[in-house]
Amino acid sequence: MMKHSVIITPEHVLVDGNPLMHNEKGSASLTELYRNHIGDYPKFFKMDTLSKLGFIASELLLNAEGNRSFEPREDRAVILFNRHASLQADTAYQATIQDPDNFFPSPAAFVYTLPNIVTGEIAIRNKYFGETSFMVIDDFDEKIIIKNLENAFQDPITKSIIGGWVDCSDEEHFEAKMFLMEKEI
Amino acid sequence: MIVCVAHNIISPLGSNSAENYAAVKSGKSALRKYDGLWGLPEPFVASLLDRNAFTDKRYTIDEQIVIASISKALKQTDIDVKSSKVLFIISTTKGNVFLLDKNENVFPQERIRLGVMAREVTKHFGNPNEPIIVSNACISGVCAQIEAMRYLESGEYDYVVVCGVDVQSSFIVSGFQSFKALSPVECKPFDANRQGLNLGDAAATIIYTKKDKVNDNEWVACRGAIRNDANHISGPSRTGEGSFRALRIALGDLEPEKLAFINAHGTATPYNDEMESIAIERAGLAGVPVNSMKGYYGHTMGAAGVLETIISMQAVDDHNILGTRGFDTLGVTHPLVVSNQNRATEKRTFIKLLSGFGGCNAALLMAKGGLK
Amino acid sequence: MDELIYTLKQQIIEALNLEDMKPEDIDENATLFGEGLGLDSIDALELIVMMEKNYGIKLQDPTQGKEIFKSVAVMADFIAKNRTK
Repeated sequence: MMKHSVIITPEHVLVDGNPLMHNEKGSASLTELYRNHIGDYPKFFKMDTLSKLGFIASELLLNAEGNRSFEPREDRAVILFNRHASLQADTAYQATIQDPDNFFPSPAAFVYTLPNIVTGEIAIRNKYFGETSFMVIDDFDEKIIIKNLENAFQDPITKSIIGGWVDCSDEEHFEAKMFLMEKEI
Repeated sequence: MIVCVAHNIISPLGSNSAENYAAVKSGKSALRKYDGLWGLPEPFVASLLDRNAFTDKRYTIDEQIVIASISKALKQTDIDVKSSKVLFIISTTKGNVFLLDKNENVFPQERIRLGVMAREVTKHFGNPNEPIIVSNACISGVCAQIEAMRYLESGEYDYVVVCGVDVQSSFIVSGFQSFKALSPVECKPFDANRQGLNLGDAAATIIYTKKDKVNDNEWVACRGAIRNDANHISGPSRTGEGSFRALRIALGDLEPEKLAFINAHGTATPYNDEMESIAIERAGLAGVPVNSMKGYYGHTMGAAGVLETIISMQAVDDHNILGTRGFDTLGVTHPLVVSNQNRATEKRTFIKLLSGFGGCNAALLMAKGGLK
Repeated sequence: MDELIYTLKQQIIEALNLEDMKPEDIDENATLFGEGLGLDSIDALELIVMMEKNYGIKLQDPTQGKEIFKSVAVMADFIAKNRTK
């Protein structure tokens, strides 16, 4: 059962279908959303674009759910999909090794060259010990995603999932369609 | 029950599962020192396929070994792979990432997308379904098997083909070097003198189906779980939180005495092996033999969970607990039963355990003939 | 030395994406890890790269970093003694 949804593009932000006002566009809009709606998590500025996007979408979802508690829990999973995996971070890391005369591989860039890091960032922020998974399909397909998340409730402990689509090809091109889903009882 | 109907491994140690198992059993390893390879300034030790053996210009090396591995697994079955009741799940962390190098221009840039790479594979086999790619860091290979189990349980597909793959490149090796995570020598899992991990190339395939009844010789994927440490994106939990929780679910109500062994991640980094020892003890499994395959193959990333499950199934078939190559003196604070020698066993179940960046951990319980 | 300390603070802020921080906000005698700036293990690895890139200092053993990255002042002292560029 869908409880809440968030859509973020470089132009628009919708929480449960209602537009969230902001002035900036593109990557600057993510920083603006962070400052206006989160503000207490400076690790945000270390994240790659994919993690920033997924992190903000998850925060907006959890704010919509209300009664936020940061108590450890195992019954909530984070399962996300996208098209470009970690391409923005991959490109940023490649830039640190492309030139043999300026070869300084960056560990801070390399750590984000895995798309599932965003699921880890969300789990760390909220103390979720539950399942975290990341999958790639080449086109957004709601049927495939919903079916997969329904399957994830086969886990004996999972009762709710932060799930959906979180994609970016570079710092200015991104799309999140994430939701909070609860197990049908 | 979710049953394994076929499997294959393509690695520097062989091009089918039996060759690979025989090599590992006899203590062979493909780990070699490479100095100056791919223009990298620092030498490294890795288990690499001979790049010159891949001559098909239509496919990248990753794609070629995936296609070869799946073909060989399918040949053991009479599955109609063109059917919409067959799903492909590919497990990989970096796929064709080498295409980001500006000097690579043989293949179209779009092949860097994992979905495009996977579609090349399903197109080759004429499978009509959209392939799913699991990219969940180093635990991908077990996650892909758990996904397969779920798809089969829900009845949507008759067969799921799971293939794990990663092929090393300057991108991956330099990244692990920047993390100071690579061992300058062949890795030593769980050893007091371990200095880090080695990387490796491989593709490995398992085909699963659902059956109501199994015979004594069939392998059943019983249950698995994925759990997060909720601690740090690159450092393992000091309390083994995620691995402990995943292990607890995989074990369920099975008595620990029924386990032949736990095939651990055992990357031979100081923190990983220590974390696993904590998690295994917390799960009440400190008395169960533990082994690691990294001294034979290095860390094969997206392939590891599939490859190590296949090797472990064959070891149980052979009544054998494989020795941990590179291990000598136990160097973790929570005592584990680790040996560098093969040992006999008559037990029929094992747990495959993995952990990875992003704080993720996965465990899978496999039982020959199912749980009685 | 004061100039090196100021430059180093700028380089740390840039290398570690310490948004909202200015060199003046960093006490050069405060600890960088744990309490102080709250840096973590990835930051330590990134500082190793930063020292190599900007000062030509190669740290082979990452555990050496523990001593050197105690504070900005300790780092500056080490750099002044060991820099090759």
